[in-house]
Amino acid sequence: MNVNDNRPILQVVNVRRTFPGVVALGGVSLDLHPGEVHALVGENGAGKSTLIKIICGALAPDSGELFFQGREVRWPTPVAARAQGMVTVHQEVELFPTLSVAENMALAAGLPMQRTGLVDWNRVHRQARETVRQIGETIDVRQPASRLSVAHRQMIQVAAAILQNARVVVLDEPTSALSGEEARWLFQQIARLKADGAGILYISHRQEEIFRLADRITVLRDGLKVWTRSRQSVGPEETIEAMVGRPASTLEAAPSIRASAPIAREAPLRFQVSGFTDGGGRFRQLDLEAGSGEIVGIYGLVGAGRSEFARAVFGLRPAEGLVRIDGNQCEIGRPREALNAGIAYVPEDRLSQGLCLGLPVRSNAVLSTLRRWTRGLLASRTREQQATRQVAGRLEVRYRSTEQPVQQLSGGNQQKVVLGRWLLAQPRVLILDEPTRGVDVGAKAEIHRHLRHLAREGCAILLISSELPEVMEHSDRVVVFREGEIAGEFDPGQAGPARIAAAALPRQGSEEAYAGRLRSSASRFQGRSFNELALLLCVAGLGLWLTVSTEGFSLLNLLTHASLWAILGLAAASVIVGRGIDISIGSMVALSATSTAMVLKLPYSPELLIPVAILAGLLAGTAAGALNAVLSLLGGLHPIVVTLGTLTIYRGLVIAMLGGKPMTGLPPEFGRLAIDPATGFRGAVAVAALVVLLVYLWMAHTRSGRHVYALGSAPRAAELLGLSRARLWPVTFGLGGLLAGLAGVLQLSMGQQMQARLGAGWELSAIAVAVIGGVGITGGRGTVLGVVLGALLLRLVNSALVRWGISDQQTDLVVGSLILAALLLDLAWRGWKR
Amino acid sequence: MSRPRQESTAAAPAPPGERSNRRLFGLLPWGLLALALMLVFSQVRRPELLVEVWVPWIEVGILAFVMTAIILTGGIDLSVGSMVALTGMVQAILWQDWGWPIEAAAGGALLAGALAGGLNGLLVVAGLSPLVATLATMALYRGLAITVAGGDRIVGFPQSFLDLGRLLGVPSQFWLAGLVFLGMVLLVHHTRFGRWCYAVGDNRQAARFAAVPVNKVDGVLYTINGLVAASVAILGAMRHDASIPDAHIGTELQVIACVVVGGTLITGGRGSVPRSLLGLAVISHLDVGLQFLSSRLSWLTAESRLIVIGILLILVAVWNQKSQKES
Repeated sequence: MNVNDNRPILQVVNVRRTFPGVVALGGVSLDLHPGEVHALVGENGAGKSTLIKIICGALAPDSGELFFQGREVRWPTPVAARAQGMVTVHQEVELFPTLSVAENMALAAGLPMQRTGLVDWNRVHRQARETVRQIGETIDVRQPASRLSVAHRQMIQVAAAILQNARVVVLDEPTSALSGEEARWLFQQIARLKADGAGILYISHRQEEIFRLADRITVLRDGLKVWTRSRQSVGPEETIEAMVGRPASTLEAAPSIRASAPIAREAPLRFQVSGFTDGGGRFRQLDLEAGSGEIVGIYGLVGAGRSEFARAVFGLRPAEGLVRIDGNQCEIGRPREALNAGIAYVPEDRLSQGLCLGLPVRSNAVLSTLRRWTRGLLASRTREQQATRQVAGRLEVRYRSTEQPVQQLSGGNQQKVVLGRWLLAQPRVLILDEPTRGVDVGAKAEIHRHLRHLAREGCAILLISSELPEVMEHSDRVVVFREGEIAGEFDPGQAGPARIAAAALPRQGSEEAYAGRLRSSASRFQGRSFNELALLLCVAGLGLWLTVSTEGFSLLNLLTHASLWAILGLAAASVIVGRGIDISIGSMVALSATSTAMVLKLPYSPELLIPVAILAGLLAGTAAGALNAVLSLLGGLHPIVVTLGTLTIYRGLVIAMLGGKPMTGLPPEFGRLAIDPATGFRGAVAVAALVVLLVYLWMAHTRSGRHVYALGSAPRAAELLGLSRARLWPVTFGLGGLLAGLAGVLQLSMGQQMQARLGAGWELSAIAVAVIGGVGITGGRGTVLGVVLGALLLRLVNSALVRWGISDQQTDLVVGSLILAALLLDLAWRGWKR
Repeated sequence: MSRPRQESTAAAPAPPGERSNRRLFGLLPWGLLALALMLVFSQVRRPELLVEVWVPWIEVGILAFVMTAIILTGGIDLSVGSMVALTGMVQAILWQDWGWPIEAAAGGALLAGALAGGLNGLLVVAGLSPLVATLATMALYRGLAITVAGGDRIVGFPQSFLDLGRLLGVPSQFWLAGLVFLGMVLLVHHTRFGRWCYAVGDNRQAARFAAVPVNKVDGVLYTINGLVAASVAILGAMRHDASIPDAHIGTELQVIACVVVGGTLITGGRGSVPRSLLGLAVISHLDVGLQFLSSRLSWLTAESRLIVIGILLILVAVWNQKSQKES
């Protein structure tokens, strides 16, 4: 239990980090000894998460040093840190949702390889199962990680850290999603890690946990360290005081800008919900009311259901129950109805939910009240500007011009713009979700002052915050949320912070039910290969029926045609899986075929020329594909735009090379490569089979192939592993070009002539094959087998149409319907799972 | 979009380099346009031909004006060429096989366009990626266009209908282009709906949180696109005296190219309808000018024209990207 005398295992020395406009860490030092649990506490915004990110390698400090096991280190990526035994379990675990649980676990530490150079999936799964066994739960490690509950994600990370023999483990709010039983498991694991001599940095809001586990405690406030003390020498009171920045006694008696006169309870009732229950189960049977001129603080831990409650009131989440404004019952199913009823909502995350960052201040400010500034049908910029200036003046927003992009403003001023948007709507009920998070002190005070001012004008205000002092100082009444229920109401003038904070802590008994509810979102259903299975059934059924019922139906012919489409489908898929898109595939097909044809026309013997010609075609395709990626990366352009341009350029090159005339009279030996009429050998099918096998091996069994999936699945999480588009796109686009080139060579061999329009429009068919085969257009999803089945299905349906006596002109109709069917099935399937 | 830029430069003195860059940015497309114009007019011997040469590009332009609004919201519609073909065939079938008067058949085509566009909108609202959804309907509508008449073109419309192909001596496409341009400028830049489009394109979630009816925006825009595609089809039938099932293959890419060259961001939130007019002008002038030139210069053939236009598209896109990062 004692702090060891030996050297610290991790040392943070005078680390500074600033973000535009904010000093997140102003020179913090910290050390961690082997076998020690060091608790890090502080309010939201104190700099804890920045410190963790620097320690784990996700963020570089502006200045200061980091020592790990006595050596100074600079982690290039979190993977590098992890490889050295420095494991971080984040509160919100970043996952690759489309990859399996096992793969997610393995990617963070680097996929294990066999001697053959392929990924050792047995080991990946064995390790994953071993990890899961540590938790003592039955989790299928092959299911997609998106199905894991938050609790399981965290427990798996902890278990993985233990198995990996980690030297330092950083746990960020590890119990926030755990039930009592699960938390006890966690504490056992922490004890085990300690006994092994690992150092643990433990971040938590929960006092009881800290005082139960920690050997030493460090308090951060406003980016600075307040003190580090041993647990024996401090009590909970002192810790809270240090976090909040003033003695707990004065905190209770602090003069506040609470309503000068106590709000008379007979003030007209503005806002009332009763029996309010969330459609997603995050809160139930809430009864809450707020009077005119009253500020009601809503306090609770993260995940207590406060934000969900606010969104449901505003019509962004389905919910049941009564909402009354000024006594009138309101039906609110959409935000617009909430707005019309007089409800306004300032969301939690300013950047992703509050603002359109690229748009001017004016557009953001008037976005919800546009009707008021339009005359007749026409919007008036002048009137919008007037409204913006008026409200910006009232809120003292510091900005240069109403047409300045809002992203140029500081955090506090941005928040005022969001607030201003809702002031313009003249709300009767204003709900604010963490309105001062990430806002500097001055702007914070101003925002609070405006809230009080608004309340005086008769607005009912619900102030949601995780900062206890904010709620206590600025509200007339504090409602505490706990696990989706109201745990109590307090008068901030009488109840102390300790009582309010205690009410927010989860109760032992109900915790289990709550965590169970969180987990219920994780389905046990296994639908991993549903898509392939459905496709396989279709293909088999249709193929069988055609073989039996149609005279002269040749499976071999079908395969020959399907080969080409399978290759093209794989060309599209390899790019899409990595979150790219290439619409120049058709032109690349033509470019390769032309290159091959031109070499074949040279005056040498065919035996010599054919291999060279094929190589030339493949090279042309690969180069064209890689060029697409390079242009997109260098120019910072969306790949659609780039390939739209190269689609035209490559086609132009083709026509130029052909000189305007089709190229015929290729050596017959070349034609026999794809289909040999003498022996009946189908080279095309053989080549396609080989290609399918190779691409399958690459995509499913090599490290780089899996990295492409990771990049497509979650680019941000991939960045944390050091995977970037700059590294992977040239490979995926190059492969796409290579495959398109191969398709071009095959088509040339089968068709025996090259004309300028060859392959025009094939890019869309190639994407269609990929999509029918189950490749997700947003990346990270799809299999080689699926694409092959998609190509087969497409050809089969075409044959079936001919069998039914419908002309095969309707290929488009079939392709279109098949894509739509595939998309809608996928959508319904995902919706149903949810 | 030019006004805000002036205002912000006036309020905050930018470093001199940045300023000249910005001025250069404004000049680039215009410079290209001037060059292209010179190319065209230096080669024209029979100016009356010029108008006719331009009609296909005007059709692209009409579609580009609507596409601008869709791309502004972060969407895309690949099915636009197929919708033109399909609605053209619907009109012809209603007239020829169902015996409807040609005006009623045109109304039917408009309805079909609204339905086709509406289906696109519905799919996007349902949560499908616009790119894939309209890729599917692109094939679907094309297939329908070919199927309804067994793949044949339908010809022989009444003379009174064909006479509408030119109004006041100018192909009607020009009038439609003017109308659609004005309509879209008004809609996108001077109405509440237009303001919503920008918000949706910049940050779809924030727009939803600001009570913007995001689904309505999607639904309306894709439906308008279908309607306008049908109008293009009707005028096309007047001009060619034919409805052609495989017309306008690849038009969608030309349309998108006009929007992108104009400087509207493909990811949404930034751009304008007049910019697409500029994009159309640059591309079409270059294309037409190079066409005229090719009779003189032997190396300047159809292929080098394609290459020039492709390179131009990428260069202008890079230019737009860079200049927007600076501002």
